[in-house]
Amino acid sequence: MSDAVVKLTDVWKIFGDRANEAMATVKKEGIGKPEVLERFGCVVGVQSASFEVSRGEIFCIMGLSGSGKSTLVRHVNRLIDPTAGKIEILGHDVSAVSDSALRRIRAEQIGMVFQHMALMPHRTVRDNVAYPLEIRKVSKSKRWAISDHALGLVDLTGYEDRLPSELSGGMQQRVGIARALASDPEILLMDEPFSALDPLIRLQLQDQFKALVAQLKKTTLFITHDLDEAIRIGHRIAIMKDGVIVQIGTPEEIVMNPADDYVREFVQGISKLKLVKAHSIMIPIKEFLANDDRALDDAPRADENADLDQLIDLSVETYSPIIITENNKDVGVVDKARLLRGIQGGKDGGGEND
Amino acid sequence: MTEPQEEIKVTAASDIEVDHEELDASIREFVGANGDAYVAAFHKIHNATGVMPNTFNIFAALCGPIWAASRAIWGMFWSFLILEIFAWVQIGRGIWGNPGAELLERAERQQARVQQMLDRASAATEQADIDRFTTLAANLQKAADNSFAQANAMQAEAPMILMTGLFLLVIVKALQGFIANSVYEKRYSNWRIDPSKVESGRQMRNIILGVVLTAAIAPLIIFKFTVNTNFLFLDAFPEQAVSNLVLGEGKGTLFSALADWMEARIDAAALAGGDVFNGVVAAVRAVLDGLTLALIGSPWPVVMLIICVTAWRSAGPRVAIFTAASLAYIALLGYWAVAMETVALVGASVLLCVVIGIPLGIWFGKSRRAYTAAEPVLDLMQTLPAFVYLIPIIAFFGTGNPPGILATIIFGMPPVIRLTALGMRGVPESIKEAAVAFGASRWQLLKDVEIPLALPSIMTGVNQTILMCLSMVVIISLIGGGGLGKEILEALQYAAKGPGLLGGFAILFLAMVMDRIVQGAFRQNR
Repeated sequence: MSDAVVKLTDVWKIFGDRANEAMATVKKEGIGKPEVLERFGCVVGVQSASFEVSRGEIFCIMGLSGSGKSTLVRHVNRLIDPTAGKIEILGHDVSAVSDSALRRIRAEQIGMVFQHMALMPHRTVRDNVAYPLEIRKVSKSKRWAISDHALGLVDLTGYEDRLPSELSGGMQQRVGIARALASDPEILLMDEPFSALDPLIRLQLQDQFKALVAQLKKTTLFITHDLDEAIRIGHRIAIMKDGVIVQIGTPEEIVMNPADDYVREFVQGISKLKLVKAHSIMIPIKEFLANDDRALDDAPRADENADLDQLIDLSVETYSPIIITENNKDVGVVDKARLLRGIQGGKDGGGEND
Repeated sequence: MTEPQEEIKVTAASDIEVDHEELDASIREFVGANGDAYVAAFHKIHNATGVMPNTFNIFAALCGPIWAASRAIWGMFWSFLILEIFAWVQIGRGIWGNPGAELLERAERQQARVQQMLDRASAATEQADIDRFTTLAANLQKAADNSFAQANAMQAEAPMILMTGLFLLVIVKALQGFIANSVYEKRYSNWRIDPSKVESGRQMRNIILGVVLTAAIAPLIIFKFTVNTNFLFLDAFPEQAVSNLVLGEGKGTLFSALADWMEARIDAAALAGGDVFNGVVAAVRAVLDGLTLALIGSPWPVVMLIICVTAWRSAGPRVAIFTAASLAYIALLGYWAVAMETVALVGASVLLCVVIGIPLGIWFGKSRRAYTAAEPVLDLMQTLPAFVYLIPIIAFFGTGNPPGILATIIFGMPPVIRLTALGMRGVPESIKEAAVAFGASRWQLLKDVEIPLALPSIMTGVNQTILMCLSMVVIISLIGGGGLGKEILEALQYAAKGPGLLGGFAILFLAMVMDRIVQGAFRQNR
């Protein structure tokens, strides 16, 4: 079995009356976005998006407003139909299934959380959370039990019989998360869930959410316009611009090796201390021994996955460079110059490590 | 990163110079012909600080409405056309008119009678007759002299009227000259906002239109009011002559021909669709009969008790007491049976309105195209005076209570349709999307999300429909509807003030009770 829970292959979305015509021309002549708008009056929302998300992974899609990230994520549960391309969930092609099968997939395998909560104002918190189960015709006693459990997961026990309007924004969004978890789906789609909340609540919910997903092992697509958030939460990040995925990579890869100027501008302000690991700034120990005459006798040791923060702590104690180990074997060395350059990010210390 | 900051020049407000070049070019572009004069005039207006800028447009004063037309200021064209015609009519009356003509005619008639009497006097043989006729002639002569004097006095007023007319004309002309530039400058300001929507420049098309309109209107009016005050062709539309021209001599009028044709069409349609119309009437009658049986067939204490308890449960004790008092008024004055008939009529109408209207409203709320198509029909249903569609109702459905209910439905259904559609469109997209994302089918979406969220709006629509139906059930007494409306119609026909007012109050109380109960019920549901 393939490990990919969600797999998108060359997905296109073109908006407009003549979308299919435009799509055919794009495929044949490879015209760009402005030409599509000019010749067909159609807007390209998503342009050739391909990625895989594996089980238990949090995959962040980061982009500014209008970059097509919300459009892209709505293809996964086909709230938006793709103009071209293939979308697979757990190995099934959802672009080909019938309406009733699609509804079953939505109800059983995908939970979604929305930026503006989208709770039903006339239902209690409990009935909101139970709604996906109600759609699946689960008995009332069962769905009340499940929704109470889901509300417990997000620390909302005791609020079951309130109406959404009685809750604060942060609490409402926790109801939204509980609703998405209630049907125990394989996949979570998070459409900018924390953007409308104030910063403190946001941090709190990010941590809570990360812990929850790790515990429940949900495969998550997380949309955000905030790179900090993407880095805090995501195992991998896709950066979108004007409907195109510019770069996909781990937070470290994105920060250390931005694909283009657009991404570079984004990562400029990001703190690297917790992000950059020792292995990405070290030089191999053989190389060090060959070119350097400094003694490594009383050098401290750190694992290759230690971050810059930990390396600084070690470096403060000693004048010697730090030896980096992999599986308790010495593999590389980080001296002060490399460490400082690493903190600066981007600029290379020795030059040979480029 | 640091860009050289451009130094911002700060100038005191008093030192700021007005840059005329750009403004002048724009004024010229707007004005078109004769730009320099208007540039100067607009400058004067822009520089003025007083109440009224001191500018005078000689063309506007001389040409009057034609100037306004040439600059496409149609509001000014019409107002000054009317004012100038008024002045010209006065002038015309002064010159050609004959203000004393009527009196002069009378005086001449009286003079003739005097001559008659004098002839008779001279022809008479008896002294008594001679005296009598002479006295009569003298009296008549006095009256005739009086009339002559009055006629002459009025004739003498003619120069006065002429002077007034001239004075008025000068005032109007001066006024046009003074305000023309200011009005035109206002127009220029509007033109700056959206040049494509405001006509600019002096266009031949507009001048011609202005001249044609003036030529068509002014001479006829002036002629009618001055030279000839009794010109048959201008007094009434010659419809008989036109009818003869179109249909041929002796074939009646266009009106009668068209009316006959329509009558035949309607009769044919009523005959052809007889089964359908009878079926509709039968269905409506079934609903009405059921309600009537429940309200009138049940013992009256039971019905009263149920109504009072309903009022209590839905709207509280105060409304319940008011309801009891209203019911007592109705029952004590002997209106019980007819009032319950009215309630049954309203109930049947509202029931049918809701059963038909809410699904229609849901459909219109979901389909923009259907709503666009239905909107004119809804407008027609609401704006058409009830009297007008009573006629086709009679033609197709006959008279009595069921056709009355159909007329009531036509009048009462639009609000519930409109407000249901409005409520459906007001359901936030995000909530609908969330329901779909969790796998809701169309039916589940409608039942769980759209209708509950649209419910307040739908309820408002139902309430309005109830009130409109109530006002209509009085009118349907004209086509044989029963209930309190019939009582009032009878009172109206005999100008019976007492019974009419008592019946009117009964309807008023009924309406208030229904409104209170329904609103209370809706408030509870919210």
